[in-house]
Amino acid sequence: MTFPPSAATAPQGAVRDASTITLSGLRKRFGGDAVALDGVDLTIRAGEFFTLLGPSGCGKTTLLRILAGLEAPDDGTLTIGGRDVTTTAPHLRSVNTVFQSYALFPHLSVRENIAFGLRMKGVPVDERRRRVDHIAEFIKLGALLDRGVNQLSGGQRQRVALARALVCEPDVLLLDEPLSALDAGLRTQLQVELQRTQKRLGMTFVFVTHDQDEAMVMSDRIAVLDNGVIQQVGAPHEVYERPVNAFVAKFMGHVNLFAIEQLDHTRVVTALGTLTMDKPLEENARAGMLLIRQEVIELGHAVSEGYNGLEGVVKERHYRGSRIEYRLEVNGVTLMATAGNLGQRLYAVGDTVTVSIHPEDVVGLDA
Amino acid sequence: MKRTPFTRGLSVFWWLMIAFLYLPLGVIVLYSFNSANSAAFFAGFSLRWYERLLGNDQLLTALGNTLALGVASSVIALVIGTLIGYGMYRHRGRKLGWLVALIYLPIVMPDIVFGISEMAFFITMDREFGILGPSLATMIIAHVTFQIPFVALIVYSRFVGLDPTLFEAAKDLYASPAQRARHFLLPTLKPSLIAAFFLAFTLSIDDFVISFFTAGPENATLPIYIWGAIRRGVSPEINAIATLMILTVAIAAVISLLFNKEGRRS
Amino acid sequence: MAQPPYPPARQRRTLSPDTRHLLWSVAPGVVWIVIFLVLPSLYLIGVAFMTNGPYGQPQMPLSLESFRQLAGFGFLGWSPGNLYTLLRSLWQTVIATGLVILIAYPLAYHISISPRQWRAIMLLAVVVPSWTNQVIRAFGWMNLLSPGTPLSQVAQFFGLIGPNMGLYPSNFAVTLGLIYNFLPFMVLPLYAAFEKLDAGLIEAARDLYASPVRAFWHAVFPQTLSGLLAGTVLVSIPAFGMYVVPELLGGGRAMMLGSLVAGQFSGGSNWPLGAAGALIMLLATLGGLYAMRKVGRRLGGGEEVVI
Repeated sequence: MTFPPSAATAPQGAVRDASTITLSGLRKRFGGDAVALDGVDLTIRAGEFFTLLGPSGCGKTTLLRILAGLEAPDDGTLTIGGRDVTTTAPHLRSVNTVFQSYALFPHLSVRENIAFGLRMKGVPVDERRRRVDHIAEFIKLGALLDRGVNQLSGGQRQRVALARALVCEPDVLLLDEPLSALDAGLRTQLQVELQRTQKRLGMTFVFVTHDQDEAMVMSDRIAVLDNGVIQQVGAPHEVYERPVNAFVAKFMGHVNLFAIEQLDHTRVVTALGTLTMDKPLEENARAGMLLIRQEVIELGHAVSEGYNGLEGVVKERHYRGSRIEYRLEVNGVTLMATAGNLGQRLYAVGDTVTVSIHPEDVVGLDA
Repeated sequence: MKRTPFTRGLSVFWWLMIAFLYLPLGVIVLYSFNSANSAAFFAGFSLRWYERLLGNDQLLTALGNTLALGVASSVIALVIGTLIGYGMYRHRGRKLGWLVALIYLPIVMPDIVFGISEMAFFITMDREFGILGPSLATMIIAHVTFQIPFVALIVYSRFVGLDPTLFEAAKDLYASPAQRARHFLLPTLKPSLIAAFFLAFTLSIDDFVISFFTAGPENATLPIYIWGAIRRGVSPEINAIATLMILTVAIAAVISLLFNKEGRRS
Repeated sequence: MAQPPYPPARQRRTLSPDTRHLLWSVAPGVVWIVIFLVLPSLYLIGVAFMTNGPYGQPQMPLSLESFRQLAGFGFLGWSPGNLYTLLRSLWQTVIATGLVILIAYPLAYHISISPRQWRAIMLLAVVVPSWTNQVIRAFGWMNLLSPGTPLSQVAQFFGLIGPNMGLYPSNFAVTLGLIYNFLPFMVLPLYAAFEKLDAGLIEAARDLYASPVRAFWHAVFPQTLSGLLAGTVLVSIPAFGMYVVPELLGGGRAMMLGSLVAGQFSGGSNWPLGAAGALIMLLATLGGLYAMRKVGRRLGGGEEVVI
């Protein structure tokens, strides 16, 4: 098989069935009582860009290391393509990792670094050379092949690390915060490149990050972890718009959360005031919090038709170019609102404004 | 810092002390080219003492012994010490105080105690069991014993300076344990291993006391030969052979330093 | 839920792979050092408590005879020779260590205030001579101090030594040889201590105390104590057990403990007596290291100064 697959042999989005990953009941703890993973059940579909998202210490890196085989779970099973690899040594798994520090071998040139995995697998010299040239072209590394790794910039190192992993054509590629050491501009560029690469190859990518924006830009699906437990799994818009609990909501950012004081069918009372939801919360939902995203709040001089209406005073204004953030005081509590910059009039600190919130955007959450 | 009488004084003192440190060595080198047989005055340049070395069979034997001892002990110490350095690194999270104490033991023990305890041990083993009689082999054993710690410490410090994820990257890239040793560990360690070898070699050539007490009658090394020659009476020949040894050790030590530096840099 | 969140750790009857790996890697070296250094040392300690046989080999029964001999009690009654040797070793050690400290302080300080790019080379310049075999270094001094050499003639001119005499062999030559041997061992730890000092601190002290001596004494010296301690141990322990320098530069009347010990294993052939002397050196070594750890802890940073 040629690499990367050409459009003819592997249409865009082609997937390898061999690479569905299932994790069931994974547990891991370190030392005495530090719990890293506390019963993780998860299925990662073949060919998907899957992101493990969470704050540091949530267990996402441990999970990735278990996938790579660098860490063994205390309990539970891991299968890749239907094969149980829970205890398989890392060098016997068809899995490759792009490490956070890139871990390029300092004694080898760029070419030798990329060829390392193929050499270890016993791929003949000619084929090795061909595949390294091919991937170098694909990742746009051609000019750097004969350099030493100490002569590379951060972004170049990242590409070499990616090429070194991809050239092995693993069933699954693991990426451990590979962009965190780069500056913002390069980071944005590489996010797009990585996602494009994944789509062209149809390879399963498992990506670890603590940056929710990065996760949303790149991923097909996101798993949000906290304290070694998966809080929610879903497409970026699901996780962002319909978080299942307050942790996920806060972690995804740009939210206002209020404790629910009283709940009567679709009418809900909080410190902010009395609001109407579009549909009643399910009977068994342990709803304790009300979520209102910052960007759904409309500010104006009159409440829009069919909206919840409130009145507030602008306390702070942060101009961010493409959007404007307002800190409002409504009924004595703080409400954050973000408005896209469409050239509308800016409100000044001290202005009194009406706040319109559509019932659909009033979301109940687990506390 | 400003130049003051104080710092100028320091500078003068520094150069005086440098003279103090190099004077004895300089005198040896100078007199090795002395045409007269005298330690009191320099009569003129001559290579006669060097020529005389070539015809001295005892001395050439001693040279052979020195090289055989240095190379053999350094090779053995390199293997054993590297293993210890690697073990210490891999398990650095554990309580290894006992191991560190054991490794420092050969370094802190006064060499005369080191030498005579080995000698007493070897002679007794020879008498009771007929093994380990004083010979080149016992000298090699003794030298390896004091070389091991230095090799282990050089290798250990190299490992500590390495990105720990490199080990994982090698595993991740399909390298089996044997392949990891061959294609990752050894090449990464290479400069440090060269440095450790030459340091061990330098230590071996530099040692007199321990060699002296563990050597058999046939196994005189250069330092032992020089010792004996000095006791018999000072001869300018000693200056010549000492000059060659100073040169050899300086070269070996510089190689060791350069490679150790390279090992740390990459 | 019937099952506890974590199953109990799997029972292991054998050693864990991790422990086996550790043992596999360090075993050759550990076994080597134990067999070829720890055992011989223990044997030597044992010999110290045995009786001297007719041919110099140690015999049963156990006794403290060798320590009595070390204190000077022999067949011919008490003689002070051995005690003099012990005291001379101590005295030479103290003098040499003290002088090494006095020389090393300005040297280390000078290096530490020199331009950064020169410091490594300056340190190297101090260390390089110690790479040479100590027999050769002592021989160098023999060349310099023997009768008729310029240095000896200068000493004669000032009446320090008699006519046609050399500066060697003598106690003076031994002290000089010891200083020469161990100077680098003091400069290195002292330099490390100076290196950590804040240069601004020295400047500030110069402003406050005006005189460089007072600045040194009040601001600098207290902060270099840990380096001084390390250097003192590194110099005094090997100096106390020094064999080559007193043998070559001292002559018979400047004998030190090392020669006494060595003599019992070659010419004199009294192993228990030699072993007793060696035991004293070992105890001095352990005592020095213990003191360094103990005091070093209190000064802070005592851990890193070991080598």
